[in-house]
Amino acid sequence: MSVLDSIRDKVSAKERLTFDDGVALFRHPDLLAVGALANEVRERMHGDRTYFNRNMRIEVTNVCVASCLFCSFAKLEEHSPGAHTMSLAEAWSELEQRMDDPPTEVHIVNGLHPGLPFSYYEELLTGFKRIKPDVHMKCFTAVEIHFFARHYGMTYEEVLVKLRAAGLDSLPGGGAEIFHPEVRTRISHDKATADEYLEVHRVAHRLGIRTNSTMLYGHIETFEHRVDHMLRLRDLQDETHGMQAFIPLAFHPDGNGMKNLPAPTAVDDLRTLAVSRLLLDNVPHIKAYWVSLTPDVAQIGLRFGADDIDGTIVHETIYHAAGSSSPQGLTYDALVRLIREAGRVPVERDTLYNVVREHAPNALPEAAMKVKDRKAARHLAVVSGS
Amino acid sequence: MSALVDKALAGSGLTAVGESRRAGDLAKVRASVDELRNADLLALGALADRVRDEEVGDVVRVYANAPVDVADDVVHVEKQADGLSFLRAVAVARITGPRAARVRVDWTSCGLELAQVALGFGASELVGRIANKRGLVLADDAMATSAKKSQALPAQLVKKRELAGFIRRSGRRAEFVDAAGNVSTLEAGEETAALAAGEMR
Repeated sequence: MSVLDSIRDKVSAKERLTFDDGVALFRHPDLLAVGALANEVRERMHGDRTYFNRNMRIEVTNVCVASCLFCSFAKLEEHSPGAHTMSLAEAWSELEQRMDDPPTEVHIVNGLHPGLPFSYYEELLTGFKRIKPDVHMKCFTAVEIHFFARHYGMTYEEVLVKLRAAGLDSLPGGGAEIFHPEVRTRISHDKATADEYLEVHRVAHRLGIRTNSTMLYGHIETFEHRVDHMLRLRDLQDETHGMQAFIPLAFHPDGNGMKNLPAPTAVDDLRTLAVSRLLLDNVPHIKAYWVSLTPDVAQIGLRFGADDIDGTIVHETIYHAAGSSSPQGLTYDALVRLIREAGRVPVERDTLYNVVREHAPNALPEAAMKVKDRKAARHLAVVSGS
Repeated sequence: MSALVDKALAGSGLTAVGESRRAGDLAKVRASVDELRNADLLALGALADRVRDEEVGDVVRVYANAPVDVADDVVHVEKQADGLSFLRAVAVARITGPRAARVRVDWTSCGLELAQVALGFGASELVGRIANKRGLVLADDAMATSAKKSQALPAQLVKKRELAGFIRRSGRRAEFVDAAGNVSTLEAGEETAALAAGEMR
């Protein structure tokens, strides 16, 4: 019996895969077979449903005390060329400008700015909630929470409780990079360690704050490091059950300290999605983040274990600073079409995966129709009174 | 090929098509083209990859900036509306094409990422322009940027090594065909050196 057949038997029996199974899946030459296994699990969990949301990304400051090798976004000091820090009014105006078609989620990730008072972040959240009380604030990675705790002299719990009182609803998953110290100490030695990252998530989950998690792959790490990373997350999830989605993030090399490395290839992207789905049996959702993968590869990823494609985003800057060729935002209709073309059912969700709207599997959104079809659809709606 | 693939083919109703292909009954294979167009994508890809493996082997011919021949056994798969349709078209071309067909994709139109994935769906030839990040074709004598001038390499060589790396990472071997039709390979591991030369990606 081949290794893959034995893994297949485990997957069919819903048995947990081991470290060695994970490494074997990464090394197996037959990408499509690995993908088919992941797709089986994905369809068992979600059928054809594929999730997306209306969100917007804001990076209020790129000033950062950390010096991560892979980062093209951060500027170390306040007045260095390209450094920016938004005033609160500037940050809020990003949402105000979108109130004609408002997002359900504001996603904020920043540099670790040493010069801002903690009240800046509290007021930031409060202001967004004032503009749109029901907007979901998914803000500040575990690395930022760790920084706040150290910088402002609080515990993780104190930071999270204060931010939640100001409007925080959940944490994004960024900052995980690769947990294994052989890699982490080389690419991001001066920010939260793996244990600290995981502890922030543990505390958040205990407080009832949901989180996502990520892994930055395709640089100097080995397959063993990737599997180790996923299994640490799986262990935490066994303990807390607070993680909603896992998002493998492809390394982009432009303009950072690892610019001589190649970016991971599409084959690696698809395999990583697939192995994630197979190893993280207790994490509900695997996200093919289209900004990192490109819309084309993310769409294919929906056949390799992913069931979520993220959202409209509007204006992403972190990956674009690192050379991402993806657009900075996709329209709602473009996301629906992307999912439908993959043979899946588009489901608009909120940040907590409550269904906002489930689309029909086949009908195209009006904006995606040819003009004559659009007219015909409108005519039909009038005739039928719908 | 593992029993897993056999099960996937059986589950998607593709076993008979595969057997017909192996028996050389192309008429029967081509009669099932509608079935193929609706089959599970990964099972279809697995069948195409199996056909490719049995009939063509692991070599990927690369025509970089070279005039490409249009022999009868060449099946050029055009870019489709989306990536999944493109992969399906590549797989169908391999399964329904002539025996040992040269299933060809153009990375200039579909992008290197999709071209690489297409190698797992039955493609065996890549064509395209060697260009810089802005899409401009590189001159024969252009040099790749390098931290040390003495280590600079011809940009086209650097790009070819990257292509070879791309192909190797999809589990295949690259052979380059030049304008005169000469075939060359790069030594294993050579492509790694190109990455250190930077710029070309």
